[in-house]
Amino acid sequence: MNRTVKVIAATGTVALALAACSSKSKTPSSSSASSTPPAATSASASSAAASSSSAAPSSAPVSSSAPAGGGATNVCMVLDTGGVDDRSFNQSSWQGLQDANKANPKITISYVGSNTGNDYTPNLNAEVTKGCSTIIAVGGLMGDNVKTAAAANPKQQFAEIDYPSTGPNVYGIQFNTAQGGFLGGYLAASYSKSGVVATFGGLNIPPVTIYMDGFVAGVRYYDKLNHATVKVLGYTPPKVCTLTNCAGKGTFVGNFTDQTAGKSDTTTFFSEGADIVFPVAGSVGLGSVAAAKLAGAGHSIMWVDSNGCVSDAADCKYFIGTVAKGVEPSVEAAVLSAAQGTFKAGTYIGTLANNGTAVEYGGIKVSAKLKSEIAKAKAGIIAGTISVNPNSYPAVK
Amino acid sequence: MSGTTAPPAPDSIQTSEEPEPSGFTVGPLLVVALSFVVSMVVGALLIAVTDRPTRKAAQHFFSAPGTMFSRAWHAVSRAYVALFQGAIVDPHTFGHGSVWRDFNPLSETLLNATPLILVGLSVGLAFRTGLFNIGGQGQIIMGAVLAGYVGFEWHLPPVLHVVVAVLAAVVGGAAWGGLAGWLKARTGAHEVISTIMLNYVAFNLLAYLLKTGVFHRKGSNQAISPIVHGTARLPHLFPAPLRLQFGFVIALVAAAAMTWLLNRSKTGFSLRAVGASPNAARTAGMGVGRAYIVAMVIAGALAGLAGASQILGTSFALTTSIDANFGFDGITVALLGRAKPWPTVAAGVLFGALRAGSVTMQTRTGTSIDLVTVLQSLVVLFVAAPMFVRHVFRLRAAGDAGSQQLAKGWNG
Repeated sequence: MNRTVKVIAATGTVALALAACSSKSKTPSSSSASSTPPAATSASASSAAASSSSAAPSSAPVSSSAPAGGGATNVCMVLDTGGVDDRSFNQSSWQGLQDANKANPKITISYVGSNTGNDYTPNLNAEVTKGCSTIIAVGGLMGDNVKTAAAANPKQQFAEIDYPSTGPNVYGIQFNTAQGGFLGGYLAASYSKSGVVATFGGLNIPPVTIYMDGFVAGVRYYDKLNHATVKVLGYTPPKVCTLTNCAGKGTFVGNFTDQTAGKSDTTTFFSEGADIVFPVAGSVGLGSVAAAKLAGAGHSIMWVDSNGCVSDAADCKYFIGTVAKGVEPSVEAAVLSAAQGTFKAGTYIGTLANNGTAVEYGGIKVSAKLKSEIAKAKAGIIAGTISVNPNSYPAVK
Repeated sequence: MSGTTAPPAPDSIQTSEEPEPSGFTVGPLLVVALSFVVSMVVGALLIAVTDRPTRKAAQHFFSAPGTMFSRAWHAVSRAYVALFQGAIVDPHTFGHGSVWRDFNPLSETLLNATPLILVGLSVGLAFRTGLFNIGGQGQIIMGAVLAGYVGFEWHLPPVLHVVVAVLAAVVGGAAWGGLAGWLKARTGAHEVISTIMLNYVAFNLLAYLLKTGVFHRKGSNQAISPIVHGTARLPHLFPAPLRLQFGFVIALVAAAAMTWLLNRSKTGFSLRAVGASPNAARTAGMGVGRAYIVAMVIAGALAGLAGASQILGTSFALTTSIDANFGFDGITVALLGRAKPWPTVAAGVLFGALRAGSVTMQTRTGTSIDLVTVLQSLVVLFVAAPMFVRHVFRLRAAGDAGSQQLAKGWNG
């Protein structure tokens, strides 16, 4: 035992010493590790020019570095607590930033995550100190923190997703996802064999409930148009529903992370006769997918935010479709225009017309006839002839 | 490594019977320090393994092993340098803005340490009474809810307002903790179960409140409360941009008060007696049930103060993440501080430094903020298993009942 420890310790020491020697010899670059000539590393310690390797600011592993040049901008993203891989909101925000980097490689991008709400302000301040040209805050819960940071740093550009603008240097990005939810509701209602569909949310907040409100409106519109009696479980719309005030009643998990709760809620809906469930709860929806797998054939999920067949490709066959929030294109557009020197102020609202929201089809085959009906409804909503307010249509008892 | 059936190797007999020349007896502090070192080494391995350039270089390990080590060293050193800069002192900000800004890392460290210390004291006091208070989260939430309500709904003169708001936090936390203590004293309900359940009750109560009239901010699309008035906020200790506030002073006063309570007061003596042996304490005529209630009321009040620090000093608005996981991190602080007041303060500052540094580390190097959670957990793991650390560093055991107790748990 002791001998083993000695051997491990000795190996570790040698490794550290090797690392210390060789770190002086080469300036690490993230680009071309494969083309490194063999055994050329630990030899020439003093010849290379790089003297202080630890202080040299190079790009973070999560960032894509760009060649320094004219017009190069540095865009940083502060994520909410869901994490960069939530297959939903945070992920699509980061994807939008990556798309911007692809479109204009001069834009350097990076992100930081938040473990709790206490991390918002330090993260924003650290990004300001780091020298980001634009800081994108993901999630409306950061609203107060962004407002304070923007007021303290009036020359710093901020953008905030799911929150209106709170200052001349804050670009608010919001989405009227009731329109996309409407089309999702129509799709679900027409595909449902049992005549029962369901939805539930993460938190009872407007960015969540407007999806559900539109979903209910879409189902009711389908019923009215086709003299059908499909009903929706899990959400009762309020009288008024706007981007800032939409307090319907229904099933809410209480967070955006508890997949176990998502699974049990979805299983309950299935047992109550629903065959399509629409979770509006970020990664909680993965629990719904698990429930659909368990329930067997004929049970499917309407995904939310970012196309389920892309963000969760392995489960594509369980998705009837996705009510997408156009986070990617809107983030990309905002970043690209900021990089060109025109930082937008005010608030952007994503709609069906500007692809800020949409319905995308999933792994389950949808007939061409139904697709054309949905395209017609989409055109009607854009033209203003179809209301996405569920109270415009009679409810099925 | 030689297996259990094999005869003992000569050198293992040697170490067990004959003291090593370098072996010396160690106090708990050295074990903590060495645990920290071991944790940093494990953390370094994690950084290296998750570092993309290092992994790329590892594919060519046999042709160019040095490249991998240099990349790994680069990643690890950058991450730990940034961790240090975010927690202690950051040369990057020198010469930018006011001199106060140079102290921002330390300010952030102590700001993060404040709730950690308070919850650490809360858990520690319960430990000393033989109780395991896992209800820090719920007690923080209830403290923050009451303090927040006073803070944004009432209108009072400047100094009075913040005092009343802090007292409201104490009442909220004490009530929530005391409830678990009362259940334990009267019905024998195990406090581990009841405090965990009360966490859920408090959390879901908060989530419900944030949707209802008074607690929901008008016009907001988020589950967030109104902002507490300026008069109800804890004063800053230093000029802007430093965020350190009076809550840190409260935490230090609380540590002093707990020292006095445990060592100098009759109540504290009975708490410790009950913690050492409930049966002996009962035989000696002490009210065991009363001690449980008193301990949990005080523990709840301390966690409630952490809630006050959160709502009146850091966040200023209630959200469902107002507890910021301090309720559970406080348990590790108490473990590291061995349930003694001033070591708990030190442990709180250490973990506060890790939390503060993690932000800079993540911003500058992209190292995940979760690494700090791993480091904290490892430190506690190694402290709770001192035999391992002693073995790695070839140290001889001292009379160290405290860590034995840590490894076994309190309530067995």
